[in-house]
Amino acid sequence: MTVSPSAEPDAVDTQRVRDASAIALRNLHKRFGRDAVALDGVDLDIHAGEFFTLLGPSGCGKTTLLRILAGLEAPNEGSLTIGGKDVTTTPPHLRSVNTVFQSYALFPHLSVHDNIAFGLRMKGVAAAERERRVQEIADFIKLGALMERRVNQLSGGQRQRVALARALVCEPDVLLLDEPLSALDAGLRNQLQVELQRTQKRLGMTFVFVTHDQEEAMVMSDRIAVLDGGVIQQVGPPQTVYEHPINAFVARFMGHVNLFEIDSVSGDRVTTALGQLRLEQPLAEHERHGMLLIRQEVIELGPEVPEGYNALEGVVRERLYRGSRVEYRLEVDGVVLLATASNLGQRLHAVGDRVTVSICPEDIVRLDA
Amino acid sequence: MRRGAFHRGLTLFWWVVMAFLYLPLAVIVFYSFNAANSSAYFAGFSLRWYDKLIHNDQLLSALSNTLVLGIASSTLALGIGTLIGYGMYRHRARKLGWLIVLIYLPIVMPDIVFGISEMAFFISIDRQFGILGPSLLTMIIAHVTFQIPFVALIVYSRFVGLDPTLFEAAKDLYASPFQRARFFLLPTLKPSLIAAFFLSFTLSVDDFVISFFNAGPENATLPIYIWGAIRRGVSPEINAIATLMIGAVLIAALLSLMFNRHKQH
Amino acid sequence: MSKPESPYPLAAHSRSLSPDTRHLLWSVAPGVIWIVVFLVLPSLYLIGVAFMTNGPYGQPQMPLTLDAFSQLAGFGFLGWSPGNLYTLLRSLWQTLLATGLVILVAYPLAYRISISREKWRALMLLAVVVPSWTNQVIRAFGWMNLLSPGTPLAELAQFFGLIGPNMGLYPSNFAVTLGLIYNFLPFMVLPLYAAFEKLDYALVEAARDLYASPLRAFWLAVFPQTLPGLLAGTVLVSIPAFGMYVVPELLGGGRAMMLGNLVASQFAGGSNWPLGAAGALIMLLATFGGLFAMRRIGKRLSGGEEVVI
Repeated sequence: MTVSPSAEPDAVDTQRVRDASAIALRNLHKRFGRDAVALDGVDLDIHAGEFFTLLGPSGCGKTTLLRILAGLEAPNEGSLTIGGKDVTTTPPHLRSVNTVFQSYALFPHLSVHDNIAFGLRMKGVAAAERERRVQEIADFIKLGALMERRVNQLSGGQRQRVALARALVCEPDVLLLDEPLSALDAGLRNQLQVELQRTQKRLGMTFVFVTHDQEEAMVMSDRIAVLDGGVIQQVGPPQTVYEHPINAFVARFMGHVNLFEIDSVSGDRVTTALGQLRLEQPLAEHERHGMLLIRQEVIELGPEVPEGYNALEGVVRERLYRGSRVEYRLEVDGVVLLATASNLGQRLHAVGDRVTVSICPEDIVRLDA
Repeated sequence: MRRGAFHRGLTLFWWVVMAFLYLPLAVIVFYSFNAANSSAYFAGFSLRWYDKLIHNDQLLSALSNTLVLGIASSTLALGIGTLIGYGMYRHRARKLGWLIVLIYLPIVMPDIVFGISEMAFFISIDRQFGILGPSLLTMIIAHVTFQIPFVALIVYSRFVGLDPTLFEAAKDLYASPFQRARFFLLPTLKPSLIAAFFLSFTLSVDDFVISFFNAGPENATLPIYIWGAIRRGVSPEINAIATLMIGAVLIAALLSLMFNRHKQH
Repeated sequence: MSKPESPYPLAAHSRSLSPDTRHLLWSVAPGVIWIVVFLVLPSLYLIGVAFMTNGPYGQPQMPLTLDAFSQLAGFGFLGWSPGNLYTLLRSLWQTLLATGLVILVAYPLAYRISISREKWRALMLLAVVVPSWTNQVIRAFGWMNLLSPGTPLAELAQFFGLIGPNMGLYPSNFAVTLGLIYNFLPFMVLPLYAAFEKLDYALVEAARDLYASPLRAFWLAVFPQTLPGLLAGTVLVSIPAFGMYVVPELLGGGRAMMLGNLVASQFAGGSNWPLGAAGALIMLLATFGGLFAMRRIGKRLSGGEEVVI
C-alpha cells in the first residue's frame, strides 16, 4: 500500500492488507535462563488493519511478545505467522515488520532525512523512488522543516514523529509500537494519541501497540489484550474489557476498586461484605464463587432511590474534588466504597454526611477472583 | 573577605604551577634560537640549529622511523583493538573478567619491565630460530601490544554510551549483518576510531623506554636519537628538534580543543 | 583462550560451541592471542630467567637457582654490599615522596579548576595535561637545562649554600624527585578534578549549617568525597613512578639510581640477565600488590562498589 495523504484513505487495497497482515500466535512460550518465564502459552489472533494493544504491568510479557513479533527475540516454543506465512525463525531484517522503539532509537550519526531513508536504503530501493517516498511520508507526518536537522536537535515529540515516519516509510505489513508515548509529557501525549490513531485509520495498517497505561489503551485501540504473568487474561474491545473485566486482575488493572467477594447466593440475591445486593438475574451454578464489581461511576448518591435499585446507607469519609467530577470515599457497613459523581452543579456532599447509595442491579458485574 | 584571600591564593598557586609545568619546555624553545653553542647564555637570535637539522641524515632517518613505527603500529592496533572493544560490548553480559585483566595488563605493567621482557623474549627467539631480532618489526609488535588496550577501551566506551536499541533498530530496518557493519557500526564509531588512532600514534611517538629496548642499531626513533645525543653531550641541535616536537604537541592540543568545542555546538 | 565455564581450549571443541561463544572468540581472539604471545609469554619467560643461572657471556642458563635474588639482596663475589638494597629502598622512598608531593600540589590545583567558570575548565585541564604529551626524554632534558651549573636556579641554590660552587642541581636525588613530580602531576589532577566536579556541596552547606568550622567542614564533608579520586590518582602516580627509568637515568646519576636503572643496566651493559629479571620480578610484584591493595581499599571506601582504575 502507498502512503498518500491527498488521496482518500479508502484507496488502500483492503483485500491485500487483509491477506498480508493478519497475525496468528500459537502456543508461544519464552523463558529467559532457567526460571524466568516471560510468556507462558500465548494464543492470539490479531486482525488485519486493526489497532491492537498489549496492555499490562511491567514484567507481564508484553514487551517480550512485541520483540518476538519484531524478530528480535525467538520463542522457545510455538509459532508465529504473519499474513499466513510462518515467520517464527525469520530474522528481523527479512520481516516486513517495523518498530517504533520506546527510546525511538534514531541513529545519532544521521540527519532526520537519512534516518527516515535508512530502511529503504537497506532494502535497496532506488534513489529516486526512495526520495519520493521519504518526501511523501515527511509531508504526511508534517516533518518538512526538520528534515536536515540532526537527531540531537529534536524535541521528544519531534523524535517520536521521526521514529514513526522512519518505520511507516517502509510500508510494513505490521507496525509495532513499544510504549512510544511514555517519555512525553501529558499534554503532548494526548495530542499524539489522537494523531497516531488517525494515522492508523488512514493507512489501514495493522498496529500492535504496547503500553502499561489503561486509559491510553482504551483511547486508541480497536481491541486490547490484557497480559499478566506471561498469560493473556482477556482480549476484547475497550468497552468490553473495561465494563466486563473477566477477573479481578483485569478489573484492578483497568482502574476499578470496588470489588467484593461473594459470600453466599440465594436466587438473584448475593451477600458480600457490603450487605445483600440484588443482581439483574440469578447467577448460574458455576458463577456462584468469585467477586462482584461495582464501577465507581455507576454509584448514585442521593436522597431518593430509583425504582428497583439496591439501596445502602453510608457516610462520606473523604472527598476529592477533581473539577469535572468529584470522588467520594464512603463507608458502608464498615466497608470502604468509592463513588465518582459528575460535577453537574448539584450540591456536593460534605465529609461526615450520611448518604443513601443506590446501585442499579444491571451495573453489578460478577467476575472471577 | 577571608574567602577572597583564599581564592586569590589559589589563583596565584595555579600560575606558579603553570610556570613549573611550562618553564622546562620554554627553556628548550628559547635556547633553540640561541646563536651560541651553549645553554648557559643567550648570544642573539639564530636559526642555525634548525638549519643543521635539515642536513642531519641520522636525524631524518630517525624521523622517518618514528613515523613508520607510529603509523604502522597504530593501524594494526586500530584493527585488533576495535574487534576486542566490539566483542567486549556485545558480550558484556558474560563474565569477561579474564579478558578485562588481560586488556589492562599492558596498561599497568611498568614500561621498563614491558620493554625488557619483550627484548629478552625476542632475543631468545632470535637465538633459537633466527627471526625476530631487534628491528623495526619487533618495535612495531611491542607498540601494538601497548596500543591495543587503549583502542579497545575507547571503542568499548563508545558502544556503552550508545542506546542499545540502535542495534535492534538497524536490524528492524532491514539491514543485513554486513549492512549493519557498513552503514551503522562504522559511521557511528568513526569519531572514536579517529580518536583511537591519534591516541595510539601519540603513545607511539611518546614512547621511549619500550622502543629503546627493542630497537636495532638502524632503528633509532626521534626520542632514541635525542637520548643518544644527550648522552654524547648536549648539543643545541637537540633544543631545535625538541622544539619541533613540542610544537607538534601544541598543535595537537589546539586541534583537540577545537574539535571538542566543535562537538559541543 | 577458553571461556571460563569450559576448561578446554577452543581448538578441540569449536564445533560444540554456541554461535554466541564463537562470535565472542572470533572478535577477541586476534587481540587476546597478540597480548598473550607478545606480553604474557615474554613476562613468563622473564620470570623464568630470574630463577636461572647467569652464564659466562651474560646469557641465562640452567640450573635453576635463587642466586639472582641473593645478588639482588647484596651478596656477591666480594661478600655483602648494600648497594642494591639502597637502590630498592631509594625507589620506594622516591615513590612515596613524589606521590605525597604530587598530592599536595594536585589537590588545591584540581579544586581551583573545579571552581572556575565552566568554559575555562576544559582549557585549564588541557593546560595541565599538555606538557605530559611531550616525550619524557624531552621533559627530562628541559629540567637538565634548568638545573645545570650556571643557571639562575643553580646559582640561587649556591647562594643559600645548598650546593657547592660550580655545581648544578642535577644530577641529584632532588632532581629525580622534581622530575617525578613533573611527570606524574597530571595523573593526580585528572581523577581529583573528576571527584571535585561531582562534589555534593549540599553536604558542605549542611556541615556549615551545623556550626562546623571551615576546616572541619572540609574534613567532614569534602575530603571523604574526594577520597576515591585521590586513591585512583595514587595508583596512577605511584605504580609508574616506582618503575621509572628515564628520569633517574638522566637527572639522577649513579647515586640516585632507582630499581628501573638497576634492571636495565643488567640487560644493557652489565649483562646479568637473571639479576635484572629478579629486579623486574620485584617490580611486577610491587605493581600487582599495589593494585590489589588499592582495589581492596577502594572497595571498602565505596561500600563494595568497584573503583574504576
